[in-house]
Amino acid sequence: MVPARISDFNYSDPRSAFILSSRFAPPCLCIVLMKFWKRWKTRILLSLAVVGPGFITANVDNDAGGIWTYSSAGAQFGHLLLWTMIPITLALIVVQEMTARMGAVTGKGLSDLIREEFGFRITFFMMIGILITNFGNVVAEFAGIAGSLELFGLSKYYTVPICAVIVWLIVVKGQYKSVEKVFLAASFFYITYIVAGVLAKPAWGTAMLATVKPPPASAWREQGYVYMVIGLVGTTIAPWMQFYLQSSIVEKGVTPRQYRASQIDVITGCIFTDVVAWFIIVACAATLYTHGYRNVQDAKDAAQALRPLAGDYAYILFSMGLFNASLFAASILPLSTAYTVCEGLGFESGVGQKFGEAPVFYWLYTILIVTGAGVILIPNLPLVKITILSQVVNGVVLPFVLIFMLLLINKKELMGQYVNSRLFNVIAWATTVVMIGLTIAWFLTLRAQG
Amino acid sequence: MSTLALTELLGQPVVDSAGRTCGRVREVALTPQEDRVLVSVLIVKTRAGDRLLPLQSVSAINGKVMASTASSDWKATNGSEGLFLLERDLLDQQVIDVHGRKVVRVNDVDLNKDSVGSRQVLKVGSVDVGARGAVRRLLKGVVPTGALQFLLNQIPPRVIPWEFVDLIETDPARRVKLKISHERLAKLHPADIADIVEELAPSEREAVFETLDEQVAAGALEEVDPKVQKSILESLDSDRAAEIVEEMQPDAAADLLADLTQEKTESILEEMAPAEREEVSGLLEFKEDSAAGRMTTEYIALPVGATTHDAIEALRKFEGGVETVSTFFLTDSRGTLAGMVPLAKLVLADAKTPLLSLTQEPLISCHADASDSEVAELFDKYNLLTLPVTDDANKLTGVITSDDVINVLRSKL
Repeated sequence: MVPARISDFNYSDPRSAFILSSRFAPPCLCIVLMKFWKRWKTRILLSLAVVGPGFITANVDNDAGGIWTYSSAGAQFGHLLLWTMIPITLALIVVQEMTARMGAVTGKGLSDLIREEFGFRITFFMMIGILITNFGNVVAEFAGIAGSLELFGLSKYYTVPICAVIVWLIVVKGQYKSVEKVFLAASFFYITYIVAGVLAKPAWGTAMLATVKPPPASAWREQGYVYMVIGLVGTTIAPWMQFYLQSSIVEKGVTPRQYRASQIDVITGCIFTDVVAWFIIVACAATLYTHGYRNVQDAKDAAQALRPLAGDYAYILFSMGLFNASLFAASILPLSTAYTVCEGLGFESGVGQKFGEAPVFYWLYTILIVTGAGVILIPNLPLVKITILSQVVNGVVLPFVLIFMLLLINKKELMGQYVNSRLFNVIAWATTVVMIGLTIAWFLTLRAQG
Repeated sequence: MSTLALTELLGQPVVDSAGRTCGRVREVALTPQEDRVLVSVLIVKTRAGDRLLPLQSVSAINGKVMASTASSDWKATNGSEGLFLLERDLLDQQVIDVHGRKVVRVNDVDLNKDSVGSRQVLKVGSVDVGARGAVRRLLKGVVPTGALQFLLNQIPPRVIPWEFVDLIETDPARRVKLKISHERLAKLHPADIADIVEELAPSEREAVFETLDEQVAAGALEEVDPKVQKSILESLDSDRAAEIVEEMQPDAAADLLADLTQEKTESILEEMAPAEREEVSGLLEFKEDSAAGRMTTEYIALPVGATTHDAIEALRKFEGGVETVSTFFLTDSRGTLAGMVPLAKLVLADAKTPLLSLTQEPLISCHADASDSEVAELFDKYNLLTLPVTDDANKLTGVITSDDVINVLRSKL
């Protein structure tokens, strides 16, 4: 079937076009790509230019932690966790919208506001909590880098240090803004999950039903179910996202008047994130769960989910997607953490400053990367387990961040007419209470087991 | 004289003249209308509500605040009108360190304690922005007082004397009542003011630009990042914006107005004085990235027959910026560019020397439509400080200065 000569080329079959171009690549493929680029360049660049902080944050949300957690959820429980996607999306939209609104109205970052309204001591402990949580996420990103490149047979002992240096240099040399666009374009790899989900011929009916129907009570008694629910919430509504999004909104100079546009940006981002998450779960349920690979242990297992789409090449797609997502988030997270902590505690911060002018900022940033990457170098580390644990920690810390956000956003002297509506308060408080409840339930099961 | 940290004073028990503990210190306040340094009143939280305890009635502060009046004499607080509250308005907030030229966050406030007769006097000495204040607030009440004091003595203090602190208040009415102005900030170089302003939240920027003297505000605004410039002008009333834009270099003003919405630009132009309006709106017609869009119309042009003496006189009367006066331009009766004389040559020449004998050869100029890169090339090739811009009829219409070129080049880096 594969055309070996150009004369065999079947013009009506798009697949053979692809095969042809890859066979006669690079010159052929290059020309095709160049033409495509020339024709679409302005449009692509234009659409990237209007992509706002909300969409970027949402994209980074599908980082290594996200991919692993969604994959494991689908592999381990099949459709049993799909019902969480709608409430999580709702909560995500509400929380991100609150964050963006606070940024636009006050013009200040979240840690600045916590400091100004709640004093030094509370801020200090909050920042320690954020530092620990985010450190877990940084570790998860480097785990993603290690896992994705191991699929190509590259040892983590040199890929991780090299990527750590790249990440460090990107930011310190002030190149982040130009690299961001590359990451963003590459994050369209996520669409592969949607395609894979479709090609896996999942049981659409049951998947849809499982999305809107609460799970049977027996599910809750299954080992690790509560743990995974916390992980799913924690990876989707991560604490660091709130700090990052609010700073991005402030930095972009969004004012309450232009706020409508940001609202749309935030909501689209949230929906996009969760649609991808849904498809990852469905794809993994249709492949891994169905074939009994219940326990995702490394990237090789997770890559099987993309088999229906890419066959033996599934691992390439998977590893490119995971690698891009991990590197993208790895260049944002340590930086965002250093900003958050320094702003809250009143240290000089900013990549515009020299090392000597903002020592705490740069040291914090450097240490996060060095230790985050360093942890991964420990031999025989269970990468996926550690990653999911970091997302569960996200979920446990989330209610504390939400409480501060809710107290702040309901202050009239701070937000004026932009205080929360009752509906938003109800949803956000409910999220907080549910997360605290789940955490307590998880601790209880831990004790029961111990 | 000894120092007392604000956070040590807050929460201290207050004992009235009858020896009863009546409440705790909730706030420490200044009355800026009367004195910007002296603590005027303590707000005491009692069971009956918040009470004002004037500092004149405080006889001692040593772990407790001893009042010389009966608690029944303390007036109830009715709002904080006219009071600057150190805890609410200063602690944990951002202030401008005028000496260090940056924005800092307040960790604690050092109060200087003095006794005058049987009365206590408290003055704001400095704000603590370093680790000492941070550690004190973190460990206060957790670590025994003696151990904490020992620890704090080991940490070198990082403080800003009160006279170098510039406060930011976004509420205009409170700004007037509390006499908050930016006299100290205004003394800094415009570029430093610009850097500071960029670090503030939008409402705080607006507050600073509403209070600064127009000339200072204009100088600072020119140096601010274009994106921030735009948001500042959009946030100001059109008449205030017009006052500031009038004082800006016409080319910078035109560049800035070109970025605003047409509506806003028009309403600002409307409020401007006619002469400045004409100049700026003339420049607005040009494309921003052409020579005409970069040039200024403020320069010294003299008739071909002028002497050095005439040039010096013209310089004395010149009101524009100093960038353009490094060169004098000679024009004939029709306004055609006839020559240019560098300031240095002119200074060394005799008063009666005709300018025509001092001109610089060759005469380099560019057309109004010249692109940014053509302009930059000319500056580079001939090592220029200024470049005259001419129209189709070779008439002198404006001047580009080297700082404009540096701006363009930097934005392309």
